Amino acid sequence: MTHTSYPTPRILPHENVVPLRAVPAVKIENFGACFAGNCVLTDISFEIPENGVTCIIGPSGAGKSTLLRALNRINEVNGDVTLSGSVSILGRDIFDGYSDITELRKRVGMVFQTPCVFPRSIAENVLFGRRGHKLSKLEKAQIVKRSLSAASLWPEVKDRLDDSALALSLGQQQRLCIARALAMEPKILLMDEPTASVDPISARAIEDLVIELSKTMTIIMVTHNIGQTKRIADTVAFLCDGELVEAGANKDMFSRRSSDKTQTYLTEEFCDC
Amino acid sequence: MNRPHSNIAQPHTARRLSNLAFSLSSKAALGLCALILIFLLGSIIYQGGRAVSFEFWLSPAQDFGKSGGILYQILGSLFIITAAAALVLPLALGAAIYRLSYLKNPKIQAMLDLTLYALNAIPSITYGIFGLIFFVNILGTGLSWFVGSIILAVMMLPTVTLASYQTMASLPQSYSENALALGLTRAQLIRRVIVPQSAHGVVTGLLLALARAIGETAPIMFIATAFSGVTVPRSLLEPVATLPTHILALAQQSTDQAALQNAWGASLTLIMFVAALSALAYYARHKLSRLSQR
Repeated sequence: MTHTSYPTPRILPHENVVPLRAVPAVKIENFGACFAGNCVLTDISFEIPENGVTCIIGPSGAGKSTLLRALNRINEVNGDVTLSGSVSILGRDIFDGYSDITELRKRVGMVFQTPCVFPRSIAENVLFGRRGHKLSKLEKAQIVKRSLSAASLWPEVKDRLDDSALALSLGQQQRLCIARALAMEPKILLMDEPTASVDPISARAIEDLVIELSKTMTIIMVTHNIGQTKRIADTVAFLCDGELVEAGANKDMFSRRSSDKTQTYLTEEFCDC
Repeated sequence: MNRPHSNIAQPHTARRLSNLAFSLSSKAALGLCALILIFLLGSIIYQGGRAVSFEFWLSPAQDFGKSGGILYQILGSLFIITAAAALVLPLALGAAIYRLSYLKNPKIQAMLDLTLYALNAIPSITYGIFGLIFFVNILGTGLSWFVGSIILAVMMLPTVTLASYQTMASLPQSYSENALALGLTRAQLIRRVIVPQSAHGVVTGLLLALARAIGETAPIMFIATAFSGVTVPRSLLEPVATLPTHILALAQQSTDQAALQNAWGASLTLIMFVAALSALAYYARHKLSRLSQR
């Protein structure tokens, strides 16, 4: 991976930028990402406010997941990626503002589309990212209870914390993944279509959970579900063919004030990029 | 009976006959393999069974192996393969982890793979000659069981490395992504996720390589073993007697019925070790695989 910043910052294309608050949780400027020479994101600039839910929407292949995965630098795990522009999280550049990449990832948690629990017990899964930290038994128990409660899973698993996490249903596994991310006490939680592989009831439970969590942390979520976006998003960013079409408050995006392209996508779920 | 489409039946019949011929030839090939194995094992069990007893296993050889048992040959073989396993495991694990997690240059990846496959294809006698020239002649170690272990470890290295790497590479990418997203370092990812989840493949590869190594004669014949007059080694630089070299020595006296009888007994014992290691590999694969999915 090579990261190149522009030597002199370019002036932002203001028509694409929606400054939302004075101190954004995430500030993306002229960001681009290319994999083995194939550019999937171009010149993205927008800000994400602190706390609340920001949904990134757009058709398949728009670059939504790539943008989300860029925020905790998970894209770089799989090799040949070239990034440009800058991304600041909590006021610090993600490429040189953090002492190392693991510090960034501890502050910016992530939940993936398909739940992936480790073949261990439920409690061990919650504490997986905290292993190696010197914690007493009491502290561990508190973290497990707090995280599972925050993920609305505690009542269902409190009597079987030592059972294998693989025995849980898919919806429960996804909430366990959320609990595991929350155990790291992140400031920002990235969610890549977290309800895509679970049943509608579990999806609603996760939506309620996201709304609850967004009171105290910034949630950035990729979704294909327009109804879900309307229900839970405070802010919406619309990507199409690797470019940001528009970003703004939910009520603005779902009103006639947004662009024709956005309106077409939101009403017909179709985008002629 | 009128059959207006009888011309269609022709290819069907040809296809059926071709299928039948293929099925029969496959069964014949399998049957031949089974017959050879049954004949070979049957001969060894029948002939060796008459020689083998607890006394045979627990008493030392006498009169150049014509009488007595194979105690020190068993101990020598166990010494050599235990040390070889201890030497090869960290090396193979390290090489597999490096190939999986750190080596990103496709050209060097291809070169490493080619090297491992080439090492796997080198005849075992070549390892023996290399050991003789390098350790015995140049370094002047003399006959040493530990040098034999080093040579066997080098011989086992490609098998164990490739088995370990292939198991690690088959782990779902989501494990790595989820672990890294929790803030684990690459070293923690390897220690907490990759190695535990691929333990079954590593252990299976090691046991299968040991099953091959315990029966090898050529790599250790010139550098690590003596045919008679050896007991338990007291240092790393002493020779031992091993089962394969003992069988070779006895087979060279095949005109002597007692020597031949003991050769069959030693062969059966060696086969039992190989079978035990193979069974252990099978058990380890299933047991550890289940454990990693609990």
